[in-house]
Amino acid sequence: MSMVAEVLTGGVRGGTSILYAALGETVSERAGVVNLGTEGSILAGALTGYAVAAETGSPWLGVLAGAVAGGLLALVHAYMVLERGANQLATGLVVLFLGLGLTSLFGVSYVQALAPTFSPAAIPGLSDIPFVGGILFNQDPLVYLSYGFVPVASWFIFRSRWGVLLRAAGERSEVLTAHGHPVKRVQYLAVVAGGMLAGIGGVHLSTAYTKAWFENMAQGRGFVAVAVVMFAARRPYRVAGGAYLFGAALALSPALQARGYAINQFALDAVPYVVTLLVLIAFGRRRSQDIPEGLSKVFDASPSG
Amino acid sequence: MSEEGISAGTSTTLDSHEGLGPSATPVTSGTLAPSADGSSLPGASLLGSSVVSDVEAVSPRAALWSQTIRVGLALLGALVLFAVLMAAKGVNPLVAYADMARSTFGDTTSLGGILVRATPIVLASLAVAVPARAGLINVGGEGQLIMGGVAAMGVSLGLDGSVSPPLTLVLMALASMVVGGLWSGLAALLRLWVGISESVTTLLLNYIAFDLLAFLIFDRWKDRQGSGQPATRALGEGERLARLGGSRVHLGIVIAVVATVVIYAVFKATSLGFRLRVVGGNPEAARRSGLRVGALLVTAMIIGGALAGLGGFTQLAGAEFKLRGSFIVGYGYIAFLGSWLARHQPIGVLASCLLLSGIAIGGDSLQLDAGLPAASVHVLSALLLLGVFGFARKRGVVT
Repeated sequence: MSMVAEVLTGGVRGGTSILYAALGETVSERAGVVNLGTEGSILAGALTGYAVAAETGSPWLGVLAGAVAGGLLALVHAYMVLERGANQLATGLVVLFLGLGLTSLFGVSYVQALAPTFSPAAIPGLSDIPFVGGILFNQDPLVYLSYGFVPVASWFIFRSRWGVLLRAAGERSEVLTAHGHPVKRVQYLAVVAGGMLAGIGGVHLSTAYTKAWFENMAQGRGFVAVAVVMFAARRPYRVAGGAYLFGAALALSPALQARGYAINQFALDAVPYVVTLLVLIAFGRRRSQDIPEGLSKVFDASPSG
Repeated sequence: MSEEGISAGTSTTLDSHEGLGPSATPVTSGTLAPSADGSSLPGASLLGSSVVSDVEAVSPRAALWSQTIRVGLALLGALVLFAVLMAAKGVNPLVAYADMARSTFGDTTSLGGILVRATPIVLASLAVAVPARAGLINVGGEGQLIMGGVAAMGVSLGLDGSVSPPLTLVLMALASMVVGGLWSGLAALLRLWVGISESVTTLLLNYIAFDLLAFLIFDRWKDRQGSGQPATRALGEGERLARLGGSRVHLGIVIAVVATVVIYAVFKATSLGFRLRVVGGNPEAARRSGLRVGALLVTAMIIGGALAGLGGFTQLAGAEFKLRGSFIVGYGYIAFLGSWLARHQPIGVLASCLLLSGIAIGGDSLQLDAGLPAASVHVLSALLLLGVFGFARKRGVVT
């Protein structure tokens, strides 16, 4: 395999957990709630998915359980923010700590455990397309599932009636209230759905990407997802691009090492985060016209000078 | 945004919009005057905790008591919930708590352990509190601590004993503050020039700082004579902070306490403190009254980063003596929560960081005695904070 193909294939594989989490965060932010606890939901999904797969022998049950776990953690965030008026960013970090602690506590018995995992399965026909086929269509089932989620999320947000409610909750909640819609319920659903998606991302991480569970295995992917959502201006297709970009940056290190390049591994480890930061700088401006009104209150507590 | 209908009726105001913590009207009356007790932070009301100063307005002492009682109740609730979880894991919570208490408060050595642990956390927590006063959210304490340690180690390695040890120590401290300040200042500049939220950039910078640390200890600065574990060489004897009375506690805790008092004084009694508060409370008013808002935001962030950098220096020169992979493990995040727990009040920050450090030390004993991972104890910290954020205050006066 050429190096470009290898990096891109790895980019899709490694970016998928970010993609799920970032799509979830997109939905949540469209409703006006930032969830830094996404990182925690990924961890919760990763452990629960892996554990359930190990106990039941079915990775698909693991996906379901992981989604529930991610959603439950997001529910804590939603309750604190929506009902108790707590600060979104600080609460998100607390929720991350909760997820980190809980998964450490209950994950210790699964550190060395074996579980059935997802493996790449080439799609006949499609995988024979030169170059692209090998990159996109020789992946594991959760990756294929994520391909479906991107257009669905885009349609849902921009074309469906629910999407209008969702965006209205984040933009002009008073209008929604005036028309008799329950703003809070919409926001609850959005945040929990976001956490469920992040949970599925976590399941992909543990049962398809690393094929193992270990403590704090998300390693900032949840934070990167929030950054991706930001520079992708909360649009699902751009979110997918950002997630795969991060994944490709992750895949760069093993690809270079396999070819014997003597580049320090730890310098390469920083590349995904540096790339995310640079893209954020390059596209950061755009968010100003596209940020949901409710969110700007979170991020722009004070103005730029 | 393509749909119409959303933008219709923008002027409708219904008070049922309590879904989002952040309130639409940021300014409360009296924001521009320093409050009598210096305890309420206008910026906090902007950032979502809708509580303004309904509690403190009574009297400082009564407010302190009520706050302490509420934190105590939250702590109790957190302990009970965590006990249930430990029981679910097959660990007798009473035994575990007894072990935790013994290892945390048992003797002077373990109490000293709390002070040692708290030293970098307090400084990194002030690094959250100072920008918060200007309305900024610094989640980058972890990276700033690491960069401070890296800078200090760099000075020690670079000078390699060519100047006297005390001078080296001073230069190490200065370098840690400069580099820590630059690391956070970068996030502030990105906020001003590119308009990206400092809460996200500081988080990303944490990971970059850690990878830089890993690069240095595995490669450039690796001690080739050392044992298998990748680390730098140790600081010379003269380049370490003095220990207090033969214990493990080092001069760093004094530095942290002095820094706390200085920041308290800056907040309470200086024009800079006042201006930061105005910017945090109502940026628009600040701008119109001629304050240089951008410069103040960058200043607040740089002061914060410098404090956290200093924390990295104290950890290196007081406790660790060399850089290794576990040089700073999550202290920056604990510090972030500590500042929020104390609502960014310097003296309170000191207290809440001691509390959270005690819990973290207790986590180490969980690992040793109950066989639970040390990180389990984050559950306890998180539950405590959820209790305080959500339940230990009067339900917010939505402004």
